[in-house]
Amino acid sequence: MSTRKASLTDKQTKNGTSKYVLERCASINEYYDIAFKVMLLGDSAVGKTCILVRFKDGAFLGGNFIATVGIDFRNKVVDVDNLKVKLQIWDTAGQERFRSVTHAYYRDAQALLLLYDITSKQSFDNIRAWLTEIHEYAQKDVVIMLLGNKSDMAAERVVKTEEGQRLAKDYGVPFMETSAKTGVNVELAFLAVAKELKHRATQQPNEPKFQIHDYIESQKQKSGCCSTV
Amino acid sequence: MSQSSLVAMESVGAQRATATWENGSLAPLDHLRSERADSPTPGLVEGTEPGAGQQSAMFVHSQSFEDLTADAEDKTESKNSEEECEGKLDELVEEEAIEEQCNNMSLESRSREEDVSSEAWRSHKKHVFVLSEAGKPIYTRYGTEEALSSTMGVMMALVSFVEAKKNIIRSIHADGCKVVFLTRSPLVLVGVSRTWQSDKELLRELQYIYYQIVSLLTLTQLNHIFQHKQNYDLRRLLAGSEYLTDNLLHRLDRDPGLLLSAVTCLPLPSSARDVVSSSLQAAKSKNLVFSILLAGDRLVTLVRKKDQFLHHIDLHLVFNLVGSSSSFREGEGWTPICLPKFNTAGFFHAHISYLEPTSELCLILISTDREDFFNMSDCKQRILERLSKRSAYQTMKEALQCPSYSVVQVGIPELRHFLYKSKSSGLYTSPQFPEVYQSDQEQERLMGLYQDLHSFLHHPSRPLRSFYRCGETENLLAQVTSGFELYLCFSPLGTKALADSAVIKLLKWIRKEEDRLFILNPLTY
Repeated sequence: MSTRKASLTDKQTKNGTSKYVLERCASINEYYDIAFKVMLLGDSAVGKTCILVRFKDGAFLGGNFIATVGIDFRNKVVDVDNLKVKLQIWDTAGQERFRSVTHAYYRDAQALLLLYDITSKQSFDNIRAWLTEIHEYAQKDVVIMLLGNKSDMAAERVVKTEEGQRLAKDYGVPFMETSAKTGVNVELAFLAVAKELKHRATQQPNEPKFQIHDYIESQKQKSGCCSTV
Repeated sequence: MSQSSLVAMESVGAQRATATWENGSLAPLDHLRSERADSPTPGLVEGTEPGAGQQSAMFVHSQSFEDLTADAEDKTESKNSEEECEGKLDELVEEEAIEEQCNNMSLESRSREEDVSSEAWRSHKKHVFVLSEAGKPIYTRYGTEEALSSTMGVMMALVSFVEAKKNIIRSIHADGCKVVFLTRSPLVLVGVSRTWQSDKELLRELQYIYYQIVSLLTLTQLNHIFQHKQNYDLRRLLAGSEYLTDNLLHRLDRDPGLLLSAVTCLPLPSSARDVVSSSLQAAKSKNLVFSILLAGDRLVTLVRKKDQFLHHIDLHLVFNLVGSSSSFREGEGWTPICLPKFNTAGFFHAHISYLEPTSELCLILISTDREDFFNMSDCKQRILERLSKRSAYQTMKEALQCPSYSVVQVGIPELRHFLYKSKSSGLYTSPQFPEVYQSDQEQERLMGLYQDLHSFLHHPSRPLRSFYRCGETENLLAQVTSGFELYLCFSPLGTKALADSAVIKLLKWIRKEEDRLFILNPLTY
């Protein structure tokens, strides 16, 4: 443990917004070993907040759409291989006018969950623009995961699963379809990211690299039995 | 108006009212505040009225609502024009709307969707439209912008037509309907009202809407956008914020604070409030400018950087943002916000969070630095830690159980409701609505009556100092001095003599309770 701690504190930045906040705030919040920043990105109304609420509270935000204002910051501690990993999750507003604020927080993020809505072609088409932005503002080694949300809405689907897969492959990022409503793959998306980050942070030289793609493939649920293949 | 008789008591000229109120028995009962009692005319001179802050004011000092409309008027007066055309705009609007409706059927998805050619749409009490100078729709209160694009085109045509003759269109008075124009380059705002409100009142409301839009984008950005692309569709940038404007309009109909240009406080023993204030004060940070603690729509305390003042309009915009969105309920929000009365050019950054997920207490920390989130988050933690150790926190939570008070406490039998604003502190107090005004409809009606009174007291050319009005359902008295503004609502059985004596009694009561009802010791970092 002590070796890890030492290596991590090296990465602390000067203004107190450390990348790996060890034991800070432990007395107030839940105890945790290691913390990571995860950011949710994507067009307005693709379901970023809903995914987060599903993951954090296991509930679905039905009813009217409530646009997130600016950035919303929440924590959740998860267990990864017997280690308490605190995910600091930035839920961002999809609206254009908040772009400049979100840009400022890109570079702090260690993982990005990029969402589109399988019932909205436009949100899918914008993914390339999002990825361009990410390459411009985020850290070089940031973990990116592409999520096609609202997989429960089979009848209104306009983006095929394969299209998502192809795009993800082009950019070399893992991909899955999720549903905040039914909870399909939501937990997995966050856990896979947590695992990847935890492995990166604690990896010993002789240890095999964590294969996020393989992990996801082995764990993920196909989105509904009636998906058109 | 026809069912009630109007009695205007004294009409003072356009110069500021110099009150000669006969009763001087307003000396505070509290011996501790003897220095305030030394004032020769307590309660009349600004700064000594009940509720006036003891040190400095929290807000930008303003002549309540005059300063809101002042710049609008300056502008118009400088061009030396007043254009009032009697016209049949409704008909014009209707025709255009019907036409548009026929070739626009793709609006199903909007919840605000409403048939703009229907009688129901037309008979809304108050419409608000925002458009760009190119005539592009930006916002409509009812219906969809798409359906109204030609209507807004007509509005812009009217504005341009009058402008072409080096003149400015201000209002159109048609049959039972007022159309008010406010040009705030690069935006044009149009209000269409079937209420009794004066042009000035309607303009004031349009100003609020204008500031709401500026607070989302900054004026600099607005100008920049339209300089580069005159026919830009601003709805793209405002997407997802329509509910803020909707809510603000709703507040304008209901919230006395917006009418009075003032804010109300959570009633709290001053000792507890002082502890809360000092907890906020202790958590300072280099770029932190304002720390605001709200309980619903009520201010608990506000701590500000020395020499920096918050304008009540900006504070209302913050209230509106917080009150309109449930997205701050969990976690911590971080959002840019322009406070247009402070500076229209730039964004502040607000850290918004509730002290406890289920509590009504919302903390807003306003910083100048976009990257200050963690510092603000840290300040919040410190405030929370400090507060939770003090008994004042519990007192405050208990005060939340009854955030208002009954008018019965004042002990004036015929008095049903009142609004009292201390001008120097920019704070007002008002009891909860009594039994007779329980329905939303009745509350809005009473607010409408207060709005009428307000129009009379603040009439641009003939402001009244005092106004008594007998109606079938209630009697009303409004009074303004350099220190306060007061609106009283009595049962219809009350008399004018009773109303006059009630004023003194009420002021005494407020003086006695001012520790609890107002923030007398505003703090700075």
